[in-house]
Parts: sequence; C-alpha cells; structure tokens
Amino acid sequence: MQYMLLIYEPEGVFEGEAGKARLMDVVGKHMALAKEMREAGAMQSGSGLQPVTTATTIITNGGSQTLHDGPFAETREQLGGYYLIDVADLDTALAYARRIPVVDGGKVEVRPLATY
Amino acid sequence: MIGAGEAMAAAQPRVVAALAARFRDLDLAEEAFAEACAAALPVWRAEPPRDATAWLWRAAFRKALDMRRREQTRRSAVLDAPAPEPTPEDELMALDEPIPDERLRLIFVCCHPAIAPESRAALTLKVVCGLSTERLARAFLMAEPAMLQRITRAKRKIRDAGVPFEVPGRAAWPERLSAVLATLEIAYAQAYEDAALAGETAGFADEVLRLSGLLAELTPDEPEVLALAALVRYAEARRPARLDDHGAMVPIGRQDMSQWRRPMIYEGLELLNRAASFGRTGPCQLLAAIHGAHLSRLETGTTPWPAIVDLYDTLVLLRPGPVTAVNRAVAVGEAQGPEAGLAALPPPMDWLPWHAARAHLLEQAGHVPEALEALRAALAMEPPPAERLFLQRAAERLAG
Repeated sequence: MQYMLLIYEPEGVFEGEAGKARLMDVVGKHMALAKEMREAGAMQSGSGLQPVTTATTIITNGGSQTLHDGPFAETREQLGGYYLIDVADLDTALAYARRIPVVDGGKVEVRPLATY
Repeated sequence: MIGAGEAMAAAQPRVVAALAARFRDLDLAEEAFAEACAAALPVWRAEPPRDATAWLWRAAFRKALDMRRREQTRRSAVLDAPAPEPTPEDELMALDEPIPDERLRLIFVCCHPAIAPESRAALTLKVVCGLSTERLARAFLMAEPAMLQRITRAKRKIRDAGVPFEVPGRAAWPERLSAVLATLEIAYAQAYEDAALAGETAGFADEVLRLSGLLAELTPDEPEVLALAALVRYAEARRPARLDDHGAMVPIGRQDMSQWRRPMIYEGLELLNRAASFGRTGPCQLLAAIHGAHLSRLETGTTPWPAIVDLYDTLVLLRPGPVTAVNRAVAVGEAQGPEAGLAALPPPMDWLPWHAARAHLLEQAGHVPEALEALRAALAMEPPPAERLFLQRAAERLAG
C-alpha cells in the first residue's frame, strides 16, 4: 500500500543561526532514513518544501479563481515536507513515520493513497 | 440438540474472527457469516448438522469467496468476465480443516491505536463477540444510529488505512496492550452485569475468561494483564452463587460460599500474586484485590468492608468516574452505614446500577417511599432477568 507521510512543523524553527544548526542535524537524519527506506524498497519519493512565504494558493469560488499569496490556511504548523512510501501495511508506515526527525511540536500525518 | 439461533450465536465469534483474519475484511466476514446463517435455516430444519460451527465456517467461507470475486469482477469493470480459476483456498475448503482461532489477532486489529479510543471497545464487542449494535448502544449509553456510525467509521478506517491483521511484535506491546486491556474489561463488565447470562452477552464471560488467560500467557511480564485474568477468574468463580433457586440475583455479601468454584479462585490468586510481585499497581490489580477481599469471607466468615472502601479510595484516584463512584458508595454504605453511602453516591445518572445502588441504600436507611421510587426507576431500565427478579422482590417487600 502507498502512504503519504506529511510532515508539519512550526514555521521559522530553521531560521537564524540556531535554526541553521538544527537544520543540518535534521537533514542528516532525513538522509539516513531515506537511504534505509530506499534499501528496503519502500521509498517512492520525498522532499522538503520551501517555507510557506513562497506558497501561492489558488482559490476556486463560485466558478471564478483568485490567487492568494500564502498557504491555504494560516496555522502554527505548516507542511514542510513529505515522503511517499510503498509498504505492506499501516504499522510499517507508522514505524517509518515515527522515525522522521521533527522538532518539538512537530507532527507527521500518515495518509494512505486512494486506489481507483 | 440446541436451537439453531443458539448454535449460530455460539459459532459467531470464532467463525467471524477466522474469516476476518483470512480475508482481511471485517464487513466481508460479518456479511458472509450472516448469509451462511440465512442459508443454514432451511437446510438444518431438514437435517440438523453434526457440527454447527464447522458447517457455518465452511458455508461462510464459500460465501466470502463469492463476495470477494464479485467485488473483484465489479472493480475490474470487464463485462462477461470469465469465471475465476479455483484458488488454493477453494481446494482447502474441500478438506475438513479445523477452524483457526484468530480471536486474539482480531482483538489486536480492533484495538489498534489508529482507531479512535471510544470506538475500540464497541468494535471489538461487535466483531469478536458478536454483540448487536442495539445492545452496544444501550451498553455505551448512546443512540443506536450514533453507535452504528461509530462502528462503520472504525471498520472503514481499518480497511482503507491498511491496518494489518497481525498480532503485533513485542516492541509494540506496551502501547497496544492498554487498549486491549480496556476493551476486555469493558467486555467483561457487560457479561458480569448479567448474572444469569441470559441476554446477548451469553457466552461472553467464557470468551473473556479464555482470552484473558491467553493474553496472560503471552505477556507474563505485564502485571495489569495478569490482574485482569485474575479479576475475571475471581468474578467467574462466584458465578454459580450469583443466582438463587428462583433465578434471582444474589448480592455478593449474601452468596452461598459453598457454591463458589475454589479452583478458579486459586487460579486467580496465583495470577494476582504474580502481578503484585512486579510492584507496579494499577486499576486492574485494585479491582482484582476488591474481588479478592470479598472472597476472603471464605476464610474469615465476614466481608472486610472497611478494607474494600480503602481499595476503592485508591481506585478512585487511578480511575475516577461514575462506575467506581457507585461501587464505592455501596461499600461505604456497608462499612459506615447507609446514610454515608447515600452521601457518597455521585449525582443522578441514567444508569441502572446507580438506581439499584440508591434503592438499596435508601431501603437500608429506612426511606421506604424513596427506595420504592428508585426501584421503579431501575426496573424501567430493562434490567436482565436475574436483576429484574431481584429488584421486583425488593419492590414487593417494600410495598407489602
């Protein structure tokens, strides 16, 4: 089954000098985890995302579309990256998801892909 | 031969669990079992089966295979698809294979942490023990449509999110066990409530007895698991004494001890001692200790009510809530007098034991009209037969 692991973290934790050091640490852990998932044949794709300040949202309403500078919702945590994996079941997906490095307050949402 | 309905109810947990484990689909398992039961009725009328469970297992397995194929055909959206090849499973069905016992596995599926906590117990009771949605709604004080929705949502999550149909590895036990324990406890509370086992919980006490023993065997280092197994044994040991000759419930303090099943008590004692040896107390251990205190009447001739109140005082801290509070109030009534018991009762609630406890305490305190009123409120809540008889007698005594 394919699962999307969506990584939500408080915005701004990787800014500044302390943030940069934190980022280096987190990136190293991501690379190790990604390597392990690739070797297990679980990894489909994955990436970090640029900050929400770069986001543009298209809103469709009443048949017309407008562009909005920013994410679809202003929340404390924002989508910062994802993995797409293919594993046997939810427990395996959860085991990988638990090991995703996140800062305190970070959340990882595990969602199975729809099958048609 | 026992009736077809009873034979079906007895077969249900095992057959549904085996089907669900094999097909990894709870709805399919339940539907296939229901279809097998419908098909059984006319056949059994003509010729009663030698082994009803084995008959239902084979019939339900075939129904499940058919349903799975229809589903696959529909999915592949090919018209006039050729009949599927017989699978190895078909071949297997030709054999008289024993029905695999998958109930423990199914319990872990239903108690998966990815399922909302409030849904786990209901789902387990529905799928593993075969309780009706209506009975579950009553047990959990919910409207039936809401209960149905809760169960449907949980099943959908299991199917769509890919919850595995496996007993988890040891590393995952601590997280998974607490959910399983809570579920078994709720299941047992349902069976215990019905002294005569006349309702839909019939057979359920034996289920929990067996499952709790199995769990204790699998996790000998988990004190709360051992304590739950002890608790169920202590309570079941008194089962024969819980009814009088007329089928009315007998309260614990007045039960005929010669009818208590001693081997089961010793089994429970051994389990509870092992649980205590870990030095980590928990709600199941306290509950088992309370049952044990009642059983100590065997040795001393009297029930140690003050000690039981002490145990409840600790239990209230670990597990606050109306169930603990009502039981504690009854114990306080015995230890310190009925007025103290009434004062300890939690605020009014729409729950049979609350009304029954209040009626008892009011009668003891000599408040006859109020006690009668409380008894009528309790009787209006459709108690199981043994409880009903007990309450009716109390009402007659007070009215006469």
